[in-house]
Amino acid sequence: MPAIDISNLTKHFGDVVALDGLDLTVEEGEIFGFLGPNGAGKSTAIDIMLDFTRPTSGNVAVLGHDVQREGLAVRKRIGVLPDAYHVYDRLTGRQHLEFAAEVKETDEDPAAILERVGIADAADRKAGGYSKGMKQRLVLGIALLGDPDLLVLDEPSTGLDPNGAKEIRDIIREENERGTTVFFSSHVMEQVEAVCDRVAIINRGDLVAVDTVDGLRSATERGETLHLQVADTSPSVVEAVGEVAGVETVAVEDGRLRVTLGDRSKFDVMEAVDEIVAVEDFSVSTTSLGDLFIHYTNEEQEVRA
Amino acid sequence: MKALSVAKKDFRDAAQSRALWALVGVFVVLLLITTYGYSEFPELFGPLDEATFEGLIFFTSSITSLFIPVAAIIVCFKSLAGERELGSIKILLSLPLTRTDALGGKLLGRAGVLSAAVLVGLVIALGFGAALVGSVAVVPLLLFVALSVGFAAVYVNIMVSLSALSATTSRAITYALGFFVAFELAWDVVPLAVVYVANGFSLPEQIPEWTFLVSQFSPSTAYFTSVIALLPDAATDVGVTVGGGGPGEVDPTAADPFYVTPEAGFVFLAFWLVVPVVLGYRRFVSVDL
Repeated sequence: MPAIDISNLTKHFGDVVALDGLDLTVEEGEIFGFLGPNGAGKSTAIDIMLDFTRPTSGNVAVLGHDVQREGLAVRKRIGVLPDAYHVYDRLTGRQHLEFAAEVKETDEDPAAILERVGIADAADRKAGGYSKGMKQRLVLGIALLGDPDLLVLDEPSTGLDPNGAKEIRDIIREENERGTTVFFSSHVMEQVEAVCDRVAIINRGDLVAVDTVDGLRSATERGETLHLQVADTSPSVVEAVGEVAGVETVAVEDGRLRVTLGDRSKFDVMEAVDEIVAVEDFSVSTTSLGDLFIHYTNEEQEVRA
Repeated sequence: MKALSVAKKDFRDAAQSRALWALVGVFVVLLLITTYGYSEFPELFGPLDEATFEGLIFFTSSITSLFIPVAAIIVCFKSLAGERELGSIKILLSLPLTRTDALGGKLLGRAGVLSAAVLVGLVIALGFGAALVGSVAVVPLLLFVALSVGFAAVYVNIMVSLSALSATTSRAITYALGFFVAFELAWDVVPLAVVYVANGFSLPEQIPEWTFLVSQFSPSTAYFTSVIALLPDAATDVGVTVGGGGPGEVDPTAADPFYVTPEAGFVFLAFWLVVPVVLGYRRFVSVDL
């Protein structure tokens, strides 16, 4: 039984199509990244999973329960860090967790959770005075309470500094090792790349790719990108470079040529480019998921070779 | 039973509203001043030369009938609309509870907060009044306090339901104030205006009796009428009548026994207790948050 089974999900808000026949399956036990630019429909899909919003058509089943007809059964088994939430300003962190523990009918100690998400010091302060990062930790703590079978995290690293983001990744891994399926949405590629088993990329309400990070990489590019500082980046140069053997894509980025490579040696390519236009400096990078993301959602900006 | 957990949390949250306790402070001060005025100069407020505890109750009820609606607006207008606007409802409804639990919890929690505020205000004011008048009528006191708490619950139901219909707090305050203006400030005028227009833009010599019944439909008038129904003997002594306003405004024309049955107040209060919640519930459980 899949942890999440989304089939042919469509949602219209008036004339706006937020989701356009989305199909997606998340297996139990995996860490699944849900990637897309702002407005792609990520939050709408999650809102439907949580029954905050009702779909125009299509179905979502979470842990075998239909989210509309059996929403309570779904929410009994999941932990959620929603997007664009707000804490109860006049209640303390501890009071938030006491309330959540009561509703989730768990005996888990709120203090232990506060310790785990790193805000034990602030437990008895009103949450309205917390920083964005502390609020994020608090709500993550609420999500972790009661040992859920599935964690749904909508943009979990929002408001966190790099250390905080790493702590969240560590918590995600720990939970996953205990058997929890993790589904999280993000537009922060590094987060997704670092922890996910599989990634789905959605754009304009529909799925454009779903695979492992490595799978996505090999399906599109060989994985290396040359950044060449050249004397001239005019369109004729770009076009000529695009015709060099082994070059898959060329784009101008920050005044430099950004060249993705096929199965040719990067020295061969660089020498060939040097004959077209003088190469003043260069660097090499491995294709990040960010590049893939741009590739999938913004293709028109690339000059295809 | 999850609604009780929500109610407890909501009570903790809303009971910390500074605006509410500032209003309770104003209410208490106002009651203390007017109670003093009534006990010193009872002849200004009614036919009796001597201040009585029952008279004080009727006198107080004319102030609570204004205080409770205003306090209910302050305590309740944001209850659900504010959570939707800010997004705290996403934390609430991600937990294993239903929207029915959330709405029920809000109703109970806010009713608890407003009841506490009303109790605090009445205990201080009537305690002070009892000391000035020099007597306490225990049964009328208990009936009046119970009815006032009930009226607070009625107004909480109205205001939480209007909040449940609203996606934003600005919409919610518009509904709340619109309700207050329509049913509390303008309501007495509406039936008269209808009669006036229907009669060719002049008032008939005999105002039709149904207008008295219609005017009692307003929640605060229904509350005042219910106080009379609970304490009929005291009402006669003090000189208040249904449809006749507060003490001292005795209206001899309001005499028809069918239309001025004080028990109609209970029927109207029951209407306001139930109908808004049904409408708010139906909308809230189906809306996209």
